[in-house]
Amino acid sequence: MIDAAARLRRPLWLRVYLGITLLLFLVAATFGLVFSPRDVNQGDLIRIMYAHVSVAWIGFVAVGLTAVFGALYLWRGKRRDDVLAVASAEMGLFFASLTIIGGMTYSRPTLNTFWTWDAKLTLTAIMVALMVGYFIVRGLVEDPVRRGRVSAVVAIVAAASLPFNYLAAEWFRTLHPAKSVALDGSGVTMDPTMLQVLLLNTAVAGMIYLGFMFDRVRLGRIEAELEAERAAGAVGGGAGGKEVVRV
Amino acid sequence: MNDLQAVLWVARKDLLQEARSKAVTVATVFFSAVTLGVLAFAFGENPLLMREGAMGALWVALAFAGVISAAQSWQADLEDGALEALLTSPVPRAAVYLGKLLANWGLMTALGVLLLPIAAGLYGARLGAAWPPLLAVIAAGTLGFALIAVFYAGLTANLRARESLLPVLMFPVVVPILLAAVRASNALVGSGDLGLAWAWLRLLVGFDLVYAVVCLVLFRFVVEA
Repeated sequence: MIDAAARLRRPLWLRVYLGITLLLFLVAATFGLVFSPRDVNQGDLIRIMYAHVSVAWIGFVAVGLTAVFGALYLWRGKRRDDVLAVASAEMGLFFASLTIIGGMTYSRPTLNTFWTWDAKLTLTAIMVALMVGYFIVRGLVEDPVRRGRVSAVVAIVAAASLPFNYLAAEWFRTLHPAKSVALDGSGVTMDPTMLQVLLLNTAVAGMIYLGFMFDRVRLGRIEAELEAERAAGAVGGGAGGKEVVRV
Repeated sequence: MNDLQAVLWVARKDLLQEARSKAVTVATVFFSAVTLGVLAFAFGENPLLMREGAMGALWVALAFAGVISAAQSWQADLEDGALEALLTSPVPRAAVYLGKLLANWGLMTALGVLLLPIAAGLYGARLGAAWPPLLAVIAAGTLGFALIAVFYAGLTANLRARESLLPVLMFPVVVPILLAAVRASNALVGSGDLGLAWAWLRLLVGFDLVYAVVCLVLFRFVVEA
């Protein structure tokens, strides 16, 4: 029992990491709220952009990584990949929901509406729905192997919409502004200071993602061990369960 | 037996089963007719609203019917261990998927062709010269829908709560396909804007291709006997 309690506690390095992340988050927020110049058109409202865009990027990365871990699980069948996938999926759902909330906050004063059913917004809303579906499915399958496979498939299908989402603002007439930072190297149409503040905020959002990933993977591995132990106990008629499977 | 033959045999089996039981035909035709009627009540007595909503109503009816059809195509195989026999037969899993897809796509296209004049008549939309390209939109839209419906129906076939799980999982995925299909149909019926319809149809075919690849690659992980 003592061993279990000790394992449940966050390790020191993780507590330090999370502390540093919190500090950096405050620094990045200060840069966004205080040091960033005002926008020519949007004035102070541009400050919402730092939170919205950074969170959205990390959200897409998280959903994409869920699919990558899912694909690895399908390929290698290691329980560990499934644990990573779930952790990333939880962060994906969290960040994608924040993206929608942030987007609505940003869009109401600048575009005079909370929501419009255009391609980019719709695809993001669908992504949230797909990630919710991911957890519903996980809750319904008891066999860990089958659960891992089914949810990996759901995650990969969800991630298949990411390229459409990425290109949506260019393909369709939409209220959502087009990209100011292009990944194909065609350049950045943004004030250099603003870009730096945005990148700082994105880096911190990435650190938050990583921090929660570390913690969730830690818990996920304990969960997996517990589940394996229970399964072994059930097979052995309740008396067994001595065999501990390390994941 | 090569793989293509296997696909055709699975499709033939499903269609033959359907021809004998008529379970899907009866359920989908009746249900989609009811859906068209209910939506007509929902639009009220505004003729303009009715006319503009005609294609939307058609696709909603098709989508609901498609869920029934896809679920039933696996449901029938769950009995008497038929699914196990199908999956242990020496053909690729993808061939089983493609066969079921073919059968479902055929049924849904037929239903779409049947519903098109009914929806147009009920909602007062004039098809005119728009019907040949509309058939292309129906074929492409039902293909995309069937791709995902058959895939997810296979995934949920032996899960608990599959009846409620299937629509929850698949509808978010098919929304882009439905959206493109409705827009393309509306462009053809309403303004007769061929350019706009063509743009949406191209997008629809693009979705079909993406999901066809994803579903084919992943299918062997989806079903388990």
